[in-house]
Amino acid sequence: MLSTRVIACLDVHEGRTVKGINFVDLKDAGDPVEQANLYSKTGADEICFLDISATHEKRKTMFDVISKTAESCFVPLTVGGGVNNLEDFSQLLKCGADKVSVNTAAVSNPNIIRQSSDKFGNQCVVLAIDAIENKVMPCGYEVTTHGGRKRTNVDVLNWASQGVKNGAGEILLTSMNADGMKTGYNLHLTKIISENVSVPIIASGGAGNPRDMVDVVLKSGASAVLAASIFHFGIHSIFSVKKEMLKNGIHVRDCEN
Amino acid sequence: MKLIIIDYGSGNLRSVENAFLNSINENNLKCKIEVTNNLNTISNADYFVLPGVGSYPDCKKGMQSSVGLIDVLSEQVLYKKKKFLGICVGMQLMFDYSLEKSRTSGLGWLSGSFNKINTVGLDYLGRNFKVPHMGWNSLNLEYTNHPILKNISNKDQYYFVHSYFLKTNQTKQIIASTDYCHQIPAIVGKENYLGVQFHPEKSSLSGQKLISNWLKWNI
Repeated sequence: MLSTRVIACLDVHEGRTVKGINFVDLKDAGDPVEQANLYSKTGADEICFLDISATHEKRKTMFDVISKTAESCFVPLTVGGGVNNLEDFSQLLKCGADKVSVNTAAVSNPNIIRQSSDKFGNQCVVLAIDAIENKVMPCGYEVTTHGGRKRTNVDVLNWASQGVKNGAGEILLTSMNADGMKTGYNLHLTKIISENVSVPIIASGGAGNPRDMVDVVLKSGASAVLAASIFHFGIHSIFSVKKEMLKNGIHVRDCEN
Repeated sequence: MKLIIIDYGSGNLRSVENAFLNSINENNLKCKIEVTNNLNTISNADYFVLPGVGSYPDCKKGMQSSVGLIDVLSEQVLYKKKKFLGICVGMQLMFDYSLEKSRTSGLGWLSGSFNKINTVGLDYLGRNFKVPHMGWNSLNLEYTNHPILKNISNKDQYYFVHSYFLKTNQTKQIIASTDYCHQIPAIVGKENYLGVQFHPEKSSLSGQKLISNWLKWNI
């Protein structure tokens, strides 16, 4: 039986993680390579790096982070943030990323989804959607870009369906209203998208505790759950999330305490 | 011993190399890895890994564009009986054909074809089945005494990501399978050549176990 995935996300800025993990066994809390290894050892089913570096120059440090992580971290690795063209895609994959997520670039140049999936296969193309509530939109949510700062007047469900048609193999769906609030995922948004598109949906934004992860799987049909901050400070471990999921009848991959 | 990871322009070669290197070091094996499509080097090597990500037609085209590669590799595997492992699309290429995009013939070493996963019904939690079949899944072991399955149980999970699955009448070729909507062959093979539908290089400790088993396997 397929396990529901628990994905740990790390925000990386100029080669260093922004929110460090507060674990005692880390030598350097700002080193993304060390953190990725710790997450994979403690049961993360995938690691997601989000590069939030401001400039293209500084983004190059990310290649080094990915290469080093891929040397010792044998779980799938997704990298996103600032991916603008096929060249970015190709370089990230060469360094050892398994999937690349595209957000803003897909809105300004929708062809990038088709081009990248044609070239590298749809298994490595993740369409990241930052959704914000907007009652005027047919599905009730609008696509935003630039980390939620810019509105696009595009309906989220329409956008997701079009992305899948163009070859996206997976959708990383973030509720910008819930993000960082720790009040739970946006169940309504996740349900609409997961019931209406054919590819797996990763729920993101809003996880405050393991119960939130159970809810978004059972009530909204998410294929995977992603969280950043709740893991970083050691309040909830991947183990405690999986234990809660298992208790609620959700099949997960075994991990050690 | 020399292990060749065949480079025909397909993606994640680096990940495959990293994972095999780690397994070689952990087990203190005397084995060198080279990533190449050089026919001379291939002819003189001992073991072969054929990775593969992307679409079946593209991977087949990639192999064909290395002139002579398919012939040399087939000779080494089918006649010289050297150890071989196909991964994901690399595994799919060992069979007759795939219907991905259009009908594309494979190497025909094993009998069967690849058809799109047909998502009917709902899963145990009432969710729609999604394609690709993406994520960690356990194995149903058909030949528990095969050396590739040493110390592997149905508790081990492997990372899958694929949209097409093997249909074959030759059930003897199936060493392990997995369940996702259908029963999906996961480890297949015959004599000295094996293929895995999942990615052992991305399957954490369970993947390392399988890679070690393959490396230590005396044909």
